[in-house]
Amino acid sequence: MNHLNRREFLRNLGVSAAALPFLTGLPSLTGADVSPRRKRLVIMFSPNGTLPKEFWPDEEGENFQFKPILDALGPFKAQTMILQGVFNKIKGDGDQHMRGMSCLLTANGLLPGNVMGGGGAPAGWASSISIDQEIKKFFQTRSETRTRFGSLEFGVAVPNRADPWTRMSYLGPNQPVAPLDDPYGMFSKLYGQMKDKESLLSILDDVKEDLRKVSAKLSTHDKQLLEQHASLVRSFESELKAPPDKSIQHPMPPLDPGIELVNDNTPKISRMQINLLVNALANDMARVATLQYMRSVGGAQMRWLGVEEGHHGLSHDPDDNKDSYAKLLKINQWFAGEFAYMAQRLSETPEPFGTGSMLDNTLLIWTNELGKGNSHTLDNIPLVMIGGGADFKMGRSLKLDKVAHNRLWLSVAQGLGHHELASFGQADLCAEGPLPLG
Amino acid sequence: MKASMLPADLNPFRFAVGKISAALMCLGSGLSVAEEAVKAPEHPGAAIYRRMCVDCHGKQGEGVAGKYDDTLSGNRSVSGLARLISKTMPEGKEGTCTGADAEAVASYIYDAFYSPAAQARIRPVQESLSHLTVAQYQNSVADLIGRFRPGFDRPPAQERGLRVWFTGVAVLTPEEEAEYKEKVNEAQKTKKDKPPRKEFKFDRIDSQVAVHFGAESPNPKKMVAEEFRANWAGSVMAPETGLYEFVAKTENGVRVYVNNSKDPIIDAWVSTGAEVRDEKKSLFLIGGRSYRLAVEFLKYKDKSASLELWWKTPHGNLELIPQSRLMPQEVRPNMVVTTAIPADDRSDGYERGTSVSKEWEQATTAIAIEVSDHVDADLDGLAGTKPGAPDRLEKLKNFSRRFAETAFRRPLSEDQKAGIVDRAFEKAPTPGLAVKRVVLHTLKSPQFIYPELSSGEKVDDFTVASRLALTLWDSIPDAALTKAASEGRLKTREQLEKEVKRMVADQRCKAKLNGFFQVWLDLEKAEHASKDASLYPEFTEEVRADLRQSLALFLDEVVWGEKSDYRQLLQADYLWLNDRLSRVYGKPVEGASFQKVSMAEEHRSGVLTHPYLLSAFAYSRTSSPIHRGVFLSRSIVGVNLKNPSIAAAFEDAKFDPSLTMREKVTSVTKNASCAGCHSVINPLGFTLEHFDSLGRWRTEDNHKPVDSVVDFDGEEGGVVKFSGAVDVANHAVKSAHAHEAFVRQLFHYVVKQPPGAFGSETLERLKSDFAANEFNIRKLLGRVVLTKVMDGMTPESPKVAGAN
Repeated sequence: MNHLNRREFLRNLGVSAAALPFLTGLPSLTGADVSPRRKRLVIMFSPNGTLPKEFWPDEEGENFQFKPILDALGPFKAQTMILQGVFNKIKGDGDQHMRGMSCLLTANGLLPGNVMGGGGAPAGWASSISIDQEIKKFFQTRSETRTRFGSLEFGVAVPNRADPWTRMSYLGPNQPVAPLDDPYGMFSKLYGQMKDKESLLSILDDVKEDLRKVSAKLSTHDKQLLEQHASLVRSFESELKAPPDKSIQHPMPPLDPGIELVNDNTPKISRMQINLLVNALANDMARVATLQYMRSVGGAQMRWLGVEEGHHGLSHDPDDNKDSYAKLLKINQWFAGEFAYMAQRLSETPEPFGTGSMLDNTLLIWTNELGKGNSHTLDNIPLVMIGGGADFKMGRSLKLDKVAHNRLWLSVAQGLGHHELASFGQADLCAEGPLPLG
Repeated sequence: MKASMLPADLNPFRFAVGKISAALMCLGSGLSVAEEAVKAPEHPGAAIYRRMCVDCHGKQGEGVAGKYDDTLSGNRSVSGLARLISKTMPEGKEGTCTGADAEAVASYIYDAFYSPAAQARIRPVQESLSHLTVAQYQNSVADLIGRFRPGFDRPPAQERGLRVWFTGVAVLTPEEEAEYKEKVNEAQKTKKDKPPRKEFKFDRIDSQVAVHFGAESPNPKKMVAEEFRANWAGSVMAPETGLYEFVAKTENGVRVYVNNSKDPIIDAWVSTGAEVRDEKKSLFLIGGRSYRLAVEFLKYKDKSASLELWWKTPHGNLELIPQSRLMPQEVRPNMVVTTAIPADDRSDGYERGTSVSKEWEQATTAIAIEVSDHVDADLDGLAGTKPGAPDRLEKLKNFSRRFAETAFRRPLSEDQKAGIVDRAFEKAPTPGLAVKRVVLHTLKSPQFIYPELSSGEKVDDFTVASRLALTLWDSIPDAALTKAASEGRLKTREQLEKEVKRMVADQRCKAKLNGFFQVWLDLEKAEHASKDASLYPEFTEEVRADLRQSLALFLDEVVWGEKSDYRQLLQADYLWLNDRLSRVYGKPVEGASFQKVSMAEEHRSGVLTHPYLLSAFAYSRTSSPIHRGVFLSRSIVGVNLKNPSIAAAFEDAKFDPSLTMREKVTSVTKNASCAGCHSVINPLGFTLEHFDSLGRWRTEDNHKPVDSVVDFDGEEGGVVKFSGAVDVANHAVKSAHAHEAFVRQLFHYVVKQPPGAFGSETLERLKSDFAANEFNIRKLLGRVVLTKVMDGMTPESPKVAGAN
């Protein structure tokens, strides 16, 4: 696809040309692309378990029907894999929510610590690296897969606290990685001062005029300094106005100004974060990303769905409480919708320097810390994957036989090219090797 | 030919000049015809000058490119010049201009162009337009934002330490225990929640954060040990600008907040086993300010409990944060700019904002964005409103106007208000974005960046306030000063002196004066001094940091003591030592805290012999009389030195190994072309030869007795004999040249303009004031500041000159 087509395509998406940035100097965006194919991984998390009957298809194999929670994934059925029968078998310190969260991506036990949960012994942080960071580390050690950030950790409505219920990514033992749940902060991280371009342009004329006015009163010697200053302002202005560099693949997405980071704005924030995530992947700033909604035990009040009660409280209610059940269905359908939106954005975005869409080269995984909210089980943890990033055989519903989730993460790593990884997390749980998903 | 023996990176001179020119070289011997007739009666020295000197030095001593580039000017006396000419001029033909001839030439050039008065006449200096320096940016932004946080300006209280609150579960009496069990049973029966345990709380002031409870609670009789919390709160004072490392040592949970109450800089709430962990985080802080400090601590089922809060100040040692830096008083957040600003221009010998570059322009833009983001994040708080308030728009507009006024240090004109505030609110899509644009616009405006440009044609109260804040604090006026300006209370000298007195007592002034000592004593060099580890294994990083602390304590004590006596800086015969330093410098001191130790028997004399400086002005294996001599010449005795013609390395290995340092230096600088400067540098440097590379007292150098006796051409009354540092200091405290050097350097640092720009008599006046005020440094600072502040005040204002 040539540049003109890409621009037209972006315009069709509603991205204004005025928002086109110049992004020269971002190392991963310049220079020739040498890698044959960019494989990517995105892991999305939502909390408090699912409703199994509304989630797992009855059928096994290619001929399956989506249950209500996953309805939104309809358009991507051929690229979807649903994995029932994956168990988080990590035991030891900490309550189910803690291990559900902090052992979810590490597949290893928690360290001893002073955090007391709803049961079990107090515990601390995870004891080893998480799968997203393991794959990022692998990508960053090789020049053909190295990117500016390696990985990006997005959050949506994550409470400002650091504990094992709130962190799923780990660089190593005792090294949790905090998700960034502020789209403006993420925007700054990705695009620096470009976000203030419009505002800067709006004032520079006045600044130039001010410099001219005050300089009239000055001696020749002092005037020289101000003239030099004014010429620096002029050249800064023309840089700001310069057309975007040709090496840029995708403009930064326009952000709605002034969205407050409050509970009721969660739907807007979620879309802002997903747009930024897709954009960052398209510009090859990172090839691994996580998207964490709230936290384990998260009590978000999803008033935008007409649900006043907190999510965690609802998830404790028995299955026969119809009102709660209906609300939990809505909540989980909303998460599925966000997951589908991310898939849609990636499927609509052509692969830069490659063929097909970005979704063809990205593996999206949606998971949860519990199998079911009111039983706190770590069995049958929800796992749905979309996309071609790991070269798995998609378009299937799998019924696996109580396999440890260690093995799934090992398959994912190998599917993304990390073949040196022979075992992941707690070794005895990974003894049988990767799951055959190809 | 080696005119100067300094390796390039240690060269104290600004730059080395051309290859050919040598100090006071004068090759021309032919008759050069004067192009213009000199009016009679001609000075007898003029003809000799034309004949023997003008080819290299130019008609007015301005220099001749490729021969002798520098201007002939300085503060030698006529007789001193005559002696120098006799000895060293004309170069290559030394000895052909002596006696009466030399005296005549000296007398002629002294009045024609050499003396400071002559220089002021023929090359009048002017103020140069200057933008904010790095420190001025950092401070101005902090105070600009601070203005909108009520209570920000509150002066620090006297009390030291932090308040701590302990919260835990009360130890119950057997009766209470039984009662509680009954309640629990009852709750179980009725399927209610367990009743809460009885709480036990207490608070106290801790001098430092250092608690060790073992397996016990903070109050074993009253509080249960299994679970408790502690919260320390107050503020911490940063003595200087730079990177501070905070270290919390604990086996339990801890969070540390510095300068904010939302995001802990250290979040280690989750403990991981019984090991004490070092949880570290570095933070850039601006000196002379207090920062909110809060520490939250949790012990839950851990086997033991302890916490210590340490820090490492810039160039300092890791230490428990001392009580003297902690205050129980809580303070508002400071806006600390994190954008790196390019270093200021030092080409005039001191830092000032007289040049711009692309990097500088980018930095000012980045700062403007950083500040606008900071404002945006706390918009309603700063503007004193709430989301959805009916008058929010009005409040935001009002905030925008006051923000620009505070930054410009004066009320906005109608044009400015329309152009900066009103237009932003008309055009920006949201009021929040309008405020952001006002902030960007304000901080990019010349009126903010160039403080003097903010004034109109005449100097008014706002100009005065702006100058006071800039010279004393490197910042913008605080609310009190702005109020005084708007009420017209900055007009008389008395009013100004009152403000100066108030402002000098502020920590910001202290931080600024600390900066001056950094420059005056060339301390930047000391921060990088390293010694040969095989020869001096005892000179560790810790020792160097302790020496820095020792000097800081000394300066602090003298400058901020009652007398603030400059002479004390030069003549004190004691050092501040702790146990670690005492082991290196051979004096018994117990304990880690610093004490005053008399060093009279080593003939120590204030900053001249402080080991931090002695070790900085030295090579890694030996002393360096040249470095020490240059420092004493320029900073202490006050002799102007020219740039060396050739910068060369002092190659120790090339000398006869049996020579002393004094012999080596004498030999290598014996050439006549070096003598001009080295006749001053060497003797001064030799007076410190009793101190080795670490600044330790010695009686032998290279197995020969140290010879520190020298003849010094004092310029003021001929040659004098010095036998050591004490004699140099005793000479300096009485020497007008020495006083002038101190006054000039203080002036440069504080005002960032040359004193001559405020009248040719400025230095003389300040110098005699200084002497008349018993060499009180703080009073001198006040006089220096008022020189700048009152410059150009309207005629009805009191006169500047001669005012006392």
